[in-house]
Amino acid sequence: MKLAVVVQRYGPDINGGAELHARYVAEHLSRQAEVEVLTTCARDYITWRNDLPAGEEQLNGVRVRRFAVRRERHPERFGRRSHHVFHHTHSIADELAWLDSEGPTSPALIEHIRRNEADYDFFIFFSFRYYHAYHGIRATASRALLVPTAERDGAIGLSIFGPVFRGVRALMYNSFEERAMIQAASGNTGVPHVVVGVGSEVPADPNPGRFRQKFGVTSPFVVYVGRIDENKGCKELFTFFERYTRAVRGDLCLVLMGHSLLPIPDHPRIRHLGFVPDEDKFDGIAAADALIMPSYFESLSMVALEAWALGKPVLANGRCDVLQGQCLRSDAGLFYENYEEFLDTLALLQANRRLAAAMGRNGREYFQRHYAWPVIVRKYMDMLNRLRADDAAGAPSAAIEPLPGWFARRRSTLRPADDVVEGLPAGPVRRTERRR
Amino acid sequence: MPPEFSMRSDSVDVDQLMTQIRARIRDKRGVDYTEEEIRQLANVKLEKFLDPTRVRSDLVQHYRQTRESGSTSALAPPPENYAFDDHLVYGSARGATGRLITSIRKLLNPLLKLFINPNPIIQVLHRQSAINAYSREQFDRTAALNYEVVHNLVVELTRLSIEVKNLKMRVESLSSRLDFSDRRARALESVVQYRPGMAPGAEVPQAPAPAPPAPRTVTSVPGGREGDSRAASGPIKGEAQRARRRRRRRGRGGANGQPETGGGPLPADAGDRQEPGSASAMQDAAAGDRGSSLPFERDTPVSTEPSPKPSGDQTDQ
Repeated sequence: MKLAVVVQRYGPDINGGAELHARYVAEHLSRQAEVEVLTTCARDYITWRNDLPAGEEQLNGVRVRRFAVRRERHPERFGRRSHHVFHHTHSIADELAWLDSEGPTSPALIEHIRRNEADYDFFIFFSFRYYHAYHGIRATASRALLVPTAERDGAIGLSIFGPVFRGVRALMYNSFEERAMIQAASGNTGVPHVVVGVGSEVPADPNPGRFRQKFGVTSPFVVYVGRIDENKGCKELFTFFERYTRAVRGDLCLVLMGHSLLPIPDHPRIRHLGFVPDEDKFDGIAAADALIMPSYFESLSMVALEAWALGKPVLANGRCDVLQGQCLRSDAGLFYENYEEFLDTLALLQANRRLAAAMGRNGREYFQRHYAWPVIVRKYMDMLNRLRADDAAGAPSAAIEPLPGWFARRRSTLRPADDVVEGLPAGPVRRTERRR
Repeated sequence: MPPEFSMRSDSVDVDQLMTQIRARIRDKRGVDYTEEEIRQLANVKLEKFLDPTRVRSDLVQHYRQTRESGSTSALAPPPENYAFDDHLVYGSARGATGRLITSIRKLLNPLLKLFINPNPIIQVLHRQSAINAYSREQFDRTAALNYEVVHNLVVELTRLSIEVKNLKMRVESLSSRLDFSDRRARALESVVQYRPGMAPGAEVPQAPAPAPPAPRTVTSVPGGREGDSRAASGPIKGEAQRARRRRRRRGRGGANGQPETGGGPLPADAGDRQEPGSASAMQDAAAGDRGSSLPFERDTPVSTEPSPKPSGDQTDQ
């Protein structure tokens, strides 16, 4: 079986959620099938500048084909168009213009898919909201699987993506909340799908002592791993933690790992270690009392899964449905929606070691059951084999709805995308994959 | 701090834990509202929390309507902006005839330029059109910002009103606790003051019974004499007291075992003279507690048994 993984950026040093997800999936599926990655030359997701050379290369045993991006993203134009389609009544043409300005605009990549469609059994597209996924799926709907990596933002409310969700052969969802949201937005319940997520390469024997020695962390601490950004809820986390230190005596520290786009508060109990290698990251998580995940929008938090894999409880932002749902289903994490809840949940995790340990055990079990790589690969292969069996049985192949005509595309009758999203069902899915 | 959640076994139910945590928080801060509820309240029922004469309860709704309709009574809807370029000056919208007219106009353009130069006018109008578009966009942005600000203000105002209401309730609760504590303190002080006093002077005079049983009538002492005995010197007082005690003992034994004061009315000051520290006194003191339903019962050892008689009585027997 020959598979193509199509993703906006790809590389060992590219650590965006969906890109890392795509790389892990490509590398693991390459042990079961012939896998090729189709991607762009971009490294920077803000501009999509062609930083890497076009052409072929081998990365961790996977062949990667890169295609040039025709033009960089113009942030001001993209911002203006985003504002228009998210907040105002608009047309399909406006949405297509928005998609075009979002990028990464690589017609060469789409042309390659169109021309060489027959060379691949299936294409696995990552991240529904980008140019490559929309136009790529339109070029080869009958062989397209989509890993949407959708978050609860305006893009899911755009009408151009409805036919995409309905027209692909299968969907590989990251979470039950994501599935509920996309099905409500597009009415694609009839499309084959599976909630699969992604695994992680967690070392079997992390060394907490090594971390403490290397970074001189002697007191108990909770850890945040990821980009330190307001959009990730870090600003709120700083505020809450500073208040927590005033309210609760003790020496609990907050350790931050990752690049910072925010000024880090000058506080004796907040430590920023910057970007650290994977070994230190896993050692740090293993040494921590708990992992804090303050993000409002996540389609799947890989770092939360890694913490669970290492037997650590998670304290998540309850306003993120996905995180809350995972905490509830795993019984391995608490969540907060305001400062009072933050205070109580964190103090509880710190003070009640038995509870924290029990949650850690639940988390490890949850990870092994749902997110270990053999489980993930099996779900992918089951779906691919099922589709191939359908093809062999002569099942009608998926056909994507065509775009409306020139005039219809320009009719400004579509509701603002944010309004559409507001009407979608929200809240965590509680019991679907519960342990007991 | 919070670690009061019982972990009786290693099985964890996060849903239940979170319910407990939230219940605790609710208990701590009184009435609890979710963000969504606050927004709903801010939009719909502000009058419940705010003084309607001072704040418009339908402020957000009104503002939204105004914004959606794009007009207010004071501000008429803006006219449609025009797109302007040099073709408009010479162009015509009359189809084929229009094209002919456009050609003629362009043909005569050199002649026109002999009289006036239309280029600056075209440029100015073109620029004006761009300025109009820019202004419109700025206006839209400002309106959006205003809406956001007003909305946030109203939400915050609602939140604060709720908080003030909660704090008021809390102050009332604390105030009633304080009242109770005062009353209790006074009651306890009086116990301390009077307990050793079971002294003769503190004895309650016996009221003449309306229909006393035979033994009682024989030994009863007129009230006037009681008053005298209170003011009299020690031996006299002691005699009167002994007489009363004898009477009391007889009363306990006789009259069908009824206490002497059981059937008759008490003197006017009898209520004030109940034995301090007795059950009734403490129950009175605790009466305020019942009203405020605060958990003082455990702190205060309220006895339901009558307090023992002073030992002096027994030695007299």
